[in-house]
Amino acid sequence: MSTQPYRGEGQGPVGAPSAGIHSASANSILVADCGTVFTKVSLLGLVEGQYRLMACGEAPTTVAAPYEDITRGITQAINEIEFITGRHLVSDGHVLSPEQPNGDGVDVFVATISAGGPIRLVVLGAVSPALDALAKQAVSGLYAETYALPAPSYVATAMPVPQPVGAGGPSNAPRPWTSERAAFEWERQLERMRELQPHAALIVGMADGPAGPNALQEACQLLVRTERELNERHSASVSAGVALHDVAVRQLPVIYAGAPQYVEAVRRMLQGLAEVAPVETLVSQAQLGPINLATNTLYERDVIQHIPGYDRLRSWSSSLPVATAASLSSLVRFLSQHYSMNVTAVDVGGATTTVLMAGEKGEFAPIVNSGVGVGPGIGALFQQAQQAGLQRLARWLPFEVTEDELRQYVLNRMLHPQVIPMSTRDLRIGHAFAREAINLTLESAAYTNLAQFRPDLIVATGSIFAHAPQYSQAVLLLLDTLQPQGVTSIVLDRTMLISQLGAVATISPVAAVQVNENDAVTHRLGTCVVPFGEVRQDQLAVRIGLEYRDGRQATVDVMGGTIKVIPLSFNEQAALTLTPGPTVDVGLGPGERARAAEEIDGGLIGLIIDARGRPLSLPTNEAERHTRLAQWLQAVGA
Amino acid sequence: MTYPFGWSVVTQTLVRRERWPGGLKAKGIPLVYPGQEVQPDQPVIRIERAGLAEEKVSAARSSLSASPASVAAMDNGTGNSSNGVRSGETILAGLCGRVVDITRRGGVVIESRAAVVQGAIGAGGQVAGVLTVWQASGGTRGQQSIPPGAILVIPGPLNLAMLRQVMSSGISGVIASSISSRDLEGFLRTDLVQLVGSRNVELAQAHLPPVTLLLTEGLGTLAMPARTMRLLGQYQGSIALLSGATSVHQAIFPELVISLPIKEAQEHWHPVHPDPVLAVGAQVRVCGGEYEGAIGEINHLFTHKQVFTSGIRARAARLRLEDGSTLVIPMALMERVG
Repeated sequence: MSTQPYRGEGQGPVGAPSAGIHSASANSILVADCGTVFTKVSLLGLVEGQYRLMACGEAPTTVAAPYEDITRGITQAINEIEFITGRHLVSDGHVLSPEQPNGDGVDVFVATISAGGPIRLVVLGAVSPALDALAKQAVSGLYAETYALPAPSYVATAMPVPQPVGAGGPSNAPRPWTSERAAFEWERQLERMRELQPHAALIVGMADGPAGPNALQEACQLLVRTERELNERHSASVSAGVALHDVAVRQLPVIYAGAPQYVEAVRRMLQGLAEVAPVETLVSQAQLGPINLATNTLYERDVIQHIPGYDRLRSWSSSLPVATAASLSSLVRFLSQHYSMNVTAVDVGGATTTVLMAGEKGEFAPIVNSGVGVGPGIGALFQQAQQAGLQRLARWLPFEVTEDELRQYVLNRMLHPQVIPMSTRDLRIGHAFAREAINLTLESAAYTNLAQFRPDLIVATGSIFAHAPQYSQAVLLLLDTLQPQGVTSIVLDRTMLISQLGAVATISPVAAVQVNENDAVTHRLGTCVVPFGEVRQDQLAVRIGLEYRDGRQATVDVMGGTIKVIPLSFNEQAALTLTPGPTVDVGLGPGERARAAEEIDGGLIGLIIDARGRPLSLPTNEAERHTRLAQWLQAVGA
Repeated sequence: MTYPFGWSVVTQTLVRRERWPGGLKAKGIPLVYPGQEVQPDQPVIRIERAGLAEEKVSAARSSLSASPASVAAMDNGTGNSSNGVRSGETILAGLCGRVVDITRRGGVVIESRAAVVQGAIGAGGQVAGVLTVWQASGGTRGQQSIPPGAILVIPGPLNLAMLRQVMSSGISGVIASSISSRDLEGFLRTDLVQLVGSRNVELAQAHLPPVTLLLTEGLGTLAMPARTMRLLGQYQGSIALLSGATSVHQAIFPELVISLPIKEAQEHWHPVHPDPVLAVGAQVRVCGGEYEGAIGEINHLFTHKQVFTSGIRARAARLRLEDGSTLVIPMALMERVG
């Protein structure tokens, strides 16, 4: 597994309090998480010497009209907490601070934000597939989207041109790069720039390829033409369908990671139109850090600080608002270090899907898939799934579904992202989209060797999990997508607190740890055993031996292609013995019997044995698949 | 929250709108100056260079079977700017009010005291036209006098056949309650998911047919609420400004802006400040589930979360509908409309 550089103001590792905050003396902490659709606020306080979650509130995020002020949604959510606790926390549009002797007010306020959307970064120049992948990897832990637009000269010299269907000759034979084709490519790129309205550009590539320095020059020319066009549209109003911040006269930030000898030439070409920040030339993973840092700086400056109401929000706290993904990263890394285990965290949000993997040896692979989610991001998710065939979505549903129905579902969710499912059918469709959001996120990180990462603990957060009516629905969703192998524990963050705790840790590590243990990860769903190797349908996959603390014993045979839940309640432990079939592996090799070194913990569901095989394969026959899915749902009580 | 104004119908409010024909490359010459009072039927911009729409419009016109009168009227500049603009044409203010700014590209920003109807979804650029309510009892549209370039109000759901009829009649915009997604996609010849999810709204609108649409309730076969219909009927014959642009990323939703008559704006000016908060007494619309489109008043907010058919537990309220019946609905499914 590759590792991800990690840094950031207010986003450092747990245990690094921000200067000027007397966290040790904080009796109460108010933490707000401003998502794309909802804003969650939690009040943390000292109860018998331990930090606990006192109350939480939720309200729609108010970045867009009619409020256009992020603090309005936060205030509404705080009002819910005031109603619950009877404490007065806001006054005259400000958080009361410090905490008063009568209990009103709070000592510290911190905020995490994902509401502003991602920073859109166009990758220009001699963008080879390898450089495109590196650029993606460089920003994979940030709310950032990259779009590669290789320079026409680079495309002409380095990439095979696909022949039209029915054309004679070999399909990958290069076609002459005519002036018409070059003009068409230019217009296509300009159109793409108009469509994308990028926040910034990243120029990459050396000048030693067949295109020479032309690719860098064309990248600059594209930026010059785009910027002139954008600036011509200065003063367009929202009523005309264009947001002001996208068209105002500006200098487009350019991160230059191309051939070092052309830095000054690029600066000259872009003079007056773009601000050029040179970083180390991007050639390998060793240069990802500076690009990550530069992009994050731009994200904070050009996205977060432009969120309506940011200035007021900033005045409520001495610490900077933190990107929610960074906050969650911080906590996940802490968990992996603190408990010496591999941790995977999954957060399916309205507009972003995040999968974070932190290893006990310090490895860290964050994958933030901006723009793909189950709220406003469901449109992008649908379109991506559509490209691969809508069967990708339908395969998760135990009933027939038409494209029209899925399309209707998507449009309704895009227009009303706050809506919750009223019928079981809608709920299942929502969960199918969540599965694909996670799958696409994992696929987007092809550079990360995910298969080698074996999580000891899976933590799920986000409203799709937190609002799942049955815990087992959340478990099945995770097993279907992450497809862990061996023995894994699953914890559900029902309170949606963990993504806030990384930010809390920057001002009060003790509070973050205590609230995490006392309130956030309290919904332990159970331990999962997932045999792998050659699991044959309807043949014994694994024999489970359990020895409970009260002396009871149980032996359960689990057949291949099935999933089974064995009772092991929340505060119960048992010794576990696994006897796999001859071709099946439980961690020690095919057919090798294993005994857990420590007693395993129960949970709200129990001990879950997923003997469906890895990789999970669904029947291709529709009727058979519906039957199988229904059986699995029934088996876990979902 | 779907409605940028807070509610779907706002009877009196102060708006500022840029009058602009649309198109990324368009360029206009303002015919008015900041501080000048303008009337809805007053030309305010002469188009110097049309945008992306021109080629498309030319193609569309060649395929239209519109009467010569209606095409002439469009060419003379009735304000069908976004979808019918060509170099040299003038476009109308569409609003009554004061010019407060001229934008760099030549757009005219007008401040007006107006009524606003916001739609759930729409398509097409900004157009001005005479608000005309379709009289179902009057038989075919041919028997009803519909001014060229009118904005036609159809109280019920639309379908593809009606839209095709509209295309051939010189109408610049249509306001209706709802339409099936299949019919709307069939008419627009575009992927609705892509259109609604588009970031560059002008670019997305540039490739649509030259009729602007606003659906008050959205997709499906939902009826138009009586109060929306009442307001539209009240302003029958007035010139109004219609925009169909919809973008969830830019929080842009379709809207109809109707300047208040001078007397009403001066003597009975009581601007409404919509409060989107869901509280007892609030009029709300159900925006999902089997009761989608139902309108009622909140008469009780439950302290504890309620369980619904899907098994989900959620904060909820009891609604009293106009027919006196009651429903318990999750608050996440409610939009305040009054």
